[in-house]
Amino acid sequence: MTSSAINDRTEQMEIDASAKWPVLVFFGSALFWLLLGGVLQLVASIQLHTPAFLSDCVWFTHGRIAPAAQNALVYGWGMNAAFAFGLWLMARLSATTLRHGGWLFVAAKFWNIGVTLGILGILGGYSTSFELLEMPRFVTLILLAAYALIGVWSVTTFSIRNTENVFASQWYLFGAAFWFPWLYAIAQVMLFKAPVRGVLQPVVNAWYVHGLYGLWFIPIAIAAAYYLLPKVLGKPIANYYLAPLAFWWLAIATAFAGGSRLIGAPVPVWIPTLGVVANFLLVVPVVIIALNLFGTLAGSYRALRGSVTLRFVLISMLGFVLASVFNLALSLRGFAELAQFTLLAALRDWLIFYACFSTAMFGAAYFMLPRLTEREWRSPAMVRAHLGATVVGVVLLTGGLAAGGWEQGRLLLNAEVSFGAITHAMTLWYTLQSVGLGVLIVGHLAFLLNFIWIACPFNSRRTAPAEFRHPPDLELAKAPEGHA
Amino acid sequence: MKNGLALFLGVFLALALSWTGLLLTAHEQIGGLAQYKDPVDETLYPLPMSGLADEGRLVYQDLGCVTCHTQQVRREGFGSDIARKWGVRGGYARDYIRDKTVFLGTSRTGPDLRNVGARLGDTARPDEYEEWFYKLLYAPQSVAPGTNMPAHAFLFDVHPTAGRQPSDKAIKLPARFAPPAGIEVVPTARARALVAYLQGLKDTYDYPIEKSRNANAEPPKEGGH
Repeated sequence: MTSSAINDRTEQMEIDASAKWPVLVFFGSALFWLLLGGVLQLVASIQLHTPAFLSDCVWFTHGRIAPAAQNALVYGWGMNAAFAFGLWLMARLSATTLRHGGWLFVAAKFWNIGVTLGILGILGGYSTSFELLEMPRFVTLILLAAYALIGVWSVTTFSIRNTENVFASQWYLFGAAFWFPWLYAIAQVMLFKAPVRGVLQPVVNAWYVHGLYGLWFIPIAIAAAYYLLPKVLGKPIANYYLAPLAFWWLAIATAFAGGSRLIGAPVPVWIPTLGVVANFLLVVPVVIIALNLFGTLAGSYRALRGSVTLRFVLISMLGFVLASVFNLALSLRGFAELAQFTLLAALRDWLIFYACFSTAMFGAAYFMLPRLTEREWRSPAMVRAHLGATVVGVVLLTGGLAAGGWEQGRLLLNAEVSFGAITHAMTLWYTLQSVGLGVLIVGHLAFLLNFIWIACPFNSRRTAPAEFRHPPDLELAKAPEGHA
Repeated sequence: MKNGLALFLGVFLALALSWTGLLLTAHEQIGGLAQYKDPVDETLYPLPMSGLADEGRLVYQDLGCVTCHTQQVRREGFGSDIARKWGVRGGYARDYIRDKTVFLGTSRTGPDLRNVGARLGDTARPDEYEEWFYKLLYAPQSVAPGTNMPAHAFLFDVHPTAGRQPSDKAIKLPARFAPPAGIEVVPTARARALVAYLQGLKDTYDYPIEKSRNANAEPPKEGGH
């Protein structure tokens, strides 16, 4: 081992030590919401095939519990996990410690108070009924203030970087750090503070929802893949010179693609048309990113056996490609005619949020947490259970929602079929959806147990390795361009 | 890419462009859309909703009805909305300017509701239709067998009639769904507002200017010059 490699390792340990507690707090909160949101989502799904389930209490009526579940998952699990991973990765890639981490605890506290109040607000009847903006208005300021602290930390860490190069993951993290607050603030102003009239409201809403998925969750997932693949495999990103092109192209095209959610809606027809064109343009960056990532993985598929991180990242990459293909399909008028308003439309967002983003965060956690806590995962069986449940759940839900949505769309298009008959035909698919969501919850529970073991400060036992192969040697292998 | 400032400017421009190009442009185009005055009956359309119906809009919003119901009728030739009698024509942007909150919706777990006020269910008269909605909300299966809509019993006051004048607003349910004798089911103010809102949902007026603007171009006649 050369002396510079040893220096690098010491530096990384310092960075990890500075990020340890903020990351654990954010990730712990994220897992709490993942479980709670998952249970709410399961309840909402059960209500679709067993309508009497929990229907007597207004707090748990389907129209409230479904958006509450979605918000808990997106703002509770998704955002907290992205904060945890984003802050740590930004510090590592900028080769600088995360300074004054105490402020991040304050931010985490406020963010989670905001989400809690928001979910209670939705369940208590203060929903705004705008997709992913259902939380009552008073929560907005709490969330924005908390986010300001977190975003500023990420950007400051980037601006005091000690590295010459800026790596691809940093572009995506940096971009996402700015895009989310802008999207959120603009949507809040245009829908609530100075509301626009008529169908402009759904236009703003579609722009926000598409932006949140495409310019926040997808960039974070891509940042994870660009970082973890070369780290674990010990080789640089293939065709890296194309990556900047993909970044800019993806950002600009995604920003314009929101209108594609409004095909056939009573809005000026150029709005969905522009969205459709943007979605077609997205083919280029998706192909480049796939070339980068799968090109790096090519020839090293054997490494999948050794690393649970790599397996989750592979699921995430497949999820990204599938979600992109699906997004494109939903832009075709013929397919949209059948698919919009059915389970197929829900599948697009689920693929981005769960199959692409959430699995990337799981992969990142399996890499990051042992390094932060300097411990091993305690139970390899739980790791396998989590991975297995994720694979089974993702396959079940993707297949089930796709087939069920197809059936639903086909029946809806046939005006001869009564609505009661459609509901009857859908019962099977709703039941399958509940099963899939239940399987995922089992995996999340296994993950939570392992997380508690690794994060709990009173547990001083260093336990058996759950990584199938010990990775630190790999970490010091040839660092890809721009790596700290 | 090494320059932080260039990265920032690019990131900023990407979103700023879409905001001006998409949202501001759309606002410029239809933000000032006004009611249309019919030249014959000199009435402004779309008609505003009643005060009670506007309260009902808030009930619709807080119960999250938009989770399962859209409020948009796709035009003839795109989907089966017209054939399903969810409306007599596709929706126009102008229809929505009276709505303080627009619930276009993204899911059709339940049927579209944009013209539910004009449909009359399977009843003959508007007052029967009101009752039909109450039954639907209290015990969905009583009027829509096979539906997976949850019951909204919390919108009703269920109490014994003993020692009090029976309410003239109590709903009459089929025996299977009715409470035991001596107990009546009375819609609360929230239920009445919600039903007023639902009954107010109808886009039956067809705007001559929208009709001409949105009509499909006639296919060219053969041999004509």
